[in-house]
Amino acid sequence: MNCDDYKQAIGADPNFDGGAGHVSECESCQAYRREMLALDEQIKRALSINVPEIETPALEPVDNSNVVSLQKRRKLVTVWFAAAATVIVAAMVVRNQAPDGGIHYESLGEEVLAHVYHEPGALVPSDVRVADDRLHEVVPASVADFDRSAGLITYAETCPISGNEVPHLIIQGQRGPITIMLLPDEKITEAIPLNDENSHGVILPVGDGSIAIIGARDEKLEEVQKQIVQSVMWDT
Amino acid sequence: MQSSNADIVRRKRFDQIVGVFHQDMYRYAAWLCRDKAIAEDVVQESMLRAWKSLDALRDDAAAKPWLLTIVRRENARYFERKRLETVDIDNLTASQSALLAEQPDEDLGDMRAAIYALDDDYREPLVLQVLMGFSTNEIAEQMDLKQGAVLTRLHRARAKLKEAMQEQAIQ
Repeated sequence: MNCDDYKQAIGADPNFDGGAGHVSECESCQAYRREMLALDEQIKRALSINVPEIETPALEPVDNSNVVSLQKRRKLVTVWFAAAATVIVAAMVVRNQAPDGGIHYESLGEEVLAHVYHEPGALVPSDVRVADDRLHEVVPASVADFDRSAGLITYAETCPISGNEVPHLIIQGQRGPITIMLLPDEKITEAIPLNDENSHGVILPVGDGSIAIIGARDEKLEEVQKQIVQSVMWDT
Repeated sequence: MQSSNADIVRRKRFDQIVGVFHQDMYRYAAWLCRDKAIAEDVVQESMLRAWKSLDALRDDAAAKPWLLTIVRRENARYFERKRLETVDIDNLTASQSALLAEQPDEDLGDMRAAIYALDDDYREPLVLQVLMGFSTNEIAEQMDLKQGAVLTRLHRARAKLKEAMQEQAIQ
């Protein structure tokens, strides 16, 4: 290790403990290390701003029976989390930090895929269906008529996609959770396939909008797609 | 309706986790968005999100990175919703100024202003490393970056701060 390498490493992390042989004989690097450690102390003090009293918001009861019954679902969790990890990689490739701090994507497909991992609670397999009230809250009649024929709906949230708040649902498939996003404002002319190493899916054109359906790689989605398309009717 | 034991246990777990890490959540949010008022909103939204997703946290030992990931996403969501413009440091709102206002001494104020002026790409890994105690591997994971990119950003961030402080010393 030479002086440039050492200073580069110390500049990135003043607690870097490599290069002991070099630094013990190099006064310049010893001085640089002391300088960086002192700078870090100053940075830490500057970053440690006062924290105001922040009130905990009203927390509504959550149906915690959604917790996985591990014995039954362990295999599925492994498969699905592996898929999720791959989706992160896909998201890493496609995301851009915009100047305003928001995240902008090159395409609808990329944004949808990235969002699959955006919801940490969504990927939990469950046997417990979302309450009717909750489902109607997330998919109000003003957006769509959505019936439950497509499968066991275990998760329902409203999430931002392309600047619109859209219903993000999970139904339980054979190989793990299947993500469904109802995109009433995203008109597309043809199906957009979504694929990576461990997950696959599609954004289907449905009327004046579209629906994204994504499952584990070995999940058979054809029948699910058919049922979901039949179970949605946009409010027009 | 009476709370069940499970509800009480869940709430207790949430309070313990958030109680330990709420300061980190706020400081991380404040340095991400550089605005105290927005940071409070982001932390509150993050608390709600954490509450809903608490069952996804398998190991409380991983609570800190889990919470900070939520804060990061909520901050991004906030800006996506509001489409806020970037802020010129010479044209701060009262809430943004407040972030720079706490300064027990002049050097600290200069350093705080220099950190504030850093690009987001440089400021965030620095906050995660220096304030949150994350390793460069953990920062890479948090920010969806390669470790090499994190090392470069950290090195450049310190170089910029060093330069800024030297300029201040000359003036």
